[in-house]
Amino acid sequence: MKYILPTMGAVAAAALFTFSTVSFPASAKETSKSDTFKQLELFADVMARVRNEYVVDVDDVELIEGALNGMLHNLDPHSSYINPEQFKRLQTTTSGEYGGLGMEVTSESGVVRVVAPIDESPAKEAGIEAGDYITEIDGESIIGVSLSEAVEQMRGKPGEPITITVIRGNEDPLEFDLVRAVIKSRATKYEIKDGVGYLRIPQFNEKTTVTLVDAVAALKKEFDGKIPGMVLDLRGNPGGLLDESITVSSVFLDGGEVVSTRGRKADDVKDYFAKKGQLVKGVPLVVLIDGASASASEIVAGAIQDRDRGLVVGMTSFGKGSVQSVIPLRGGRDGALRMTTQRYYTPSGRSIQGTGITPDIFIAASQEEVNRDRISESDLPNSIQNELANEADKSELDIETPPEGFEEDGDYQLKRAIEILKDGSYTQKLAEANEG
Amino acid sequence: MKTLLRFGSVYLVALMCPSLATADQKQANQATLEQLELFADAYSIVRENYIEDLTDAEIMEGAINGALESLDPHSSYVPEQAYEERQKNARREYGGLGIEVTLEDGLVKVNYVIPGGPADKQGLKRGEFITAVEGEEIFGKTLDEAVSGMRGLEGDPINVTVKAEDSTTRELTIVREVVSGRAVRHRVEDGVGYIYIETFNHPRLSVDVKAAIEDLKSNFSGTLPGLVIDVRSNPGGRVDQVVKVTDYFLDGGEVFSSRARDRQDTRRYHAQDGQLVDGVPIVVLINSQSASAAEIIAGALQDRNRALVIGRRSFGKGSVQSIIQLPGGGALRLTTERYYTPSGHSIQGLGIMPDVLVAGSPESDTIKKRFRESNLQNALSNPNTAEIEEDFSIMDFPSEEWPSDEDYQLAKAVELVKSPLYENRLAQKNVPLRLP
Repeated sequence: MKYILPTMGAVAAAALFTFSTVSFPASAKETSKSDTFKQLELFADVMARVRNEYVVDVDDVELIEGALNGMLHNLDPHSSYINPEQFKRLQTTTSGEYGGLGMEVTSESGVVRVVAPIDESPAKEAGIEAGDYITEIDGESIIGVSLSEAVEQMRGKPGEPITITVIRGNEDPLEFDLVRAVIKSRATKYEIKDGVGYLRIPQFNEKTTVTLVDAVAALKKEFDGKIPGMVLDLRGNPGGLLDESITVSSVFLDGGEVVSTRGRKADDVKDYFAKKGQLVKGVPLVVLIDGASASASEIVAGAIQDRDRGLVVGMTSFGKGSVQSVIPLRGGRDGALRMTTQRYYTPSGRSIQGTGITPDIFIAASQEEVNRDRISESDLPNSIQNELANEADKSELDIETPPEGFEEDGDYQLKRAIEILKDGSYTQKLAEANEG
Repeated sequence: MKTLLRFGSVYLVALMCPSLATADQKQANQATLEQLELFADAYSIVRENYIEDLTDAEIMEGAINGALESLDPHSSYVPEQAYEERQKNARREYGGLGIEVTLEDGLVKVNYVIPGGPADKQGLKRGEFITAVEGEEIFGKTLDEAVSGMRGLEGDPINVTVKAEDSTTRELTIVREVVSGRAVRHRVEDGVGYIYIETFNHPRLSVDVKAAIEDLKSNFSGTLPGLVIDVRSNPGGRVDQVVKVTDYFLDGGEVFSSRARDRQDTRRYHAQDGQLVDGVPIVVLINSQSASAAEIIAGALQDRNRALVIGRRSFGKGSVQSIIQLPGGGALRLTTERYYTPSGHSIQGLGIMPDVLVAGSPESDTIKKRFRESNLQNALSNPNTAEIEEDFSIMDFPSEEWPSDEDYQLAKAVELVKSPLYENRLAQKNVPLRLP
């Protein structure tokens, strides 16, 4: 997930040398210092052995890069080492547009797994699904390849073809031929559906809030100032920029906390607040989420749920409740570390990590979705534990599914969300959810 | 902190480069120092800022492992605990399932089921896939991780999910037994001697092979009409054992050589004079999972013109790993040498090409595509040649009607060893290529 916070990262790296020594009590510091020495000595010993005895000549730079990759990768699936070349590219592509496939991926024990394809992207249009494992790129196995390298391989010039082999469930490997395209920052879209306003946020990018505000204004105009009800669709939204999740939440909340982040040290807490004066005061709101709603999507859904602002409907979200900082090494000359430094907490103090956001009303898109073992953060090996609750709420027992004969390409979750807004049960259901 | 690290780095370099002599060395040392400093910086950032409070050993384990894994797929770090565990395991009889497996497409494939063993009793069949152990999915794990979940104490039951070739899945409960350590099976097959060597990783293996050959000889009142040595799916094992076994079939001369980085550093392994089966036609049966020691015996008998090799191109694992003990109690598993056949060919990445290409299943894309050493990420290259491919136009495939429970490759091996043209084929190998 793309939490590129270069400024903050740089500050953190610089601060390190100033403050790090005061963070330990004296006695603890002594033991940990000697342990650090012991470990660094071990590391030097390993390097020396490898240099002397390996079957071919080794390159120090490659060896250290391997060590950095291994060290970061071992922490959790979202931490990684960014080499100098990748870092340079990262800086030029963060704001610009590049050719790619348009999907959010994560790494599971060295296998790349799709969190969600982005709307209208080559990946989505080819039929790649959330939860797919990507095993080959252009016929070459990528099992064991680092996540950043796999992403690198999938990027390229727009118009260039690429073949992706995926494994889905217990099926035989599937091959997809895709053409790389410029992955534009998708804007918020709106529609009037069955007399209510429908807002679709496909990802959280720098355009999201601007286009959301426009969409809300347009909906208000269509409804002559009074929107009877609204659906905010965050299904399959893999997240994006943290700032955008705050400004998006400000559209629906009248001030107050949206999310807080906490680091390892007790005083490393940051609260994020919504701006005063919401745009859609009093408009009934249903937020749609599913197993592929991650990160920034979960912040928005969690805030609306905790602040009793709307009903959250759908399936349990992904559970990506950690923040990564990008910390340049020697100003980026030696690359950077992307590392998990904080966790998200919803306004009521729940950590999203691992457990995700539990909907107020469980409604599945299909019976298959209920059966399918949805990919979620807690499935990732080595994922960071949620320290507040070890077990996710297992109340997914009462899940509403489409009735027999419901049209296959129909959107049952959306249909039900609209019904809840229109059949007069919304207020009752919201009150029940708030009691629960 | 900074001072500490600098001191650390200088200390590290001092450890790595005891003699700081020439200008060139000084420059190299300077480069190494910079790399170590970079590492120490990154290490301290992780140590101080990661979301979880990790011990130095935990962080370092990932780093050392990453450095080693960046070298090649067979080099790795064995931390203190794991090393102790392995030492223990080596001395203890473990309850097993009586199957031989490989990792294919991320799943555990059953390559051989020991007749009468625990898995055989429950109806597990060769060619089936194990997708989960005790409900835990295999996909995304390494073979070591997958197999370690299957080991356990005698009498303990284990639940495995099995996917049959027709894609149906079923659950099996298998009670672990101490599977006999016998790695050699022999029988008279269609009028010739047949000996199957499952692994070379057994200290008594050469003794068992000798006993098997003597027993076969007694079946034919002293003289074998022909011998098939089956090392299919044999993953290799001990060097001393493969040298002893190969010795039975060679009258002196070289078996193989191994070379370290410094070409001067070459070790040659020789057979003793005299052989067990003088003048007996031999066919060695290999497949794409015959690796390491299995490739040494096939390569030696092929190069020395002692046998015809039949089957599929072997795996291509032509490197030797040494276990290097570290002061802290852990160990490195480091690739230190390459194997060469008597004619000086490196096995690495290429494997042994059979004299007669025979496939085990009817022609299809999946049977053509086999996973070998060169498909492994970051595999060590062959010093001589880039790649050799099997020529499918001359490969002998069983017809669609061939019963799937009958061993086509073995039938062909027996046919070849009995063939009146055997001597002719063997002699032809040394005849320079004739144009038609």
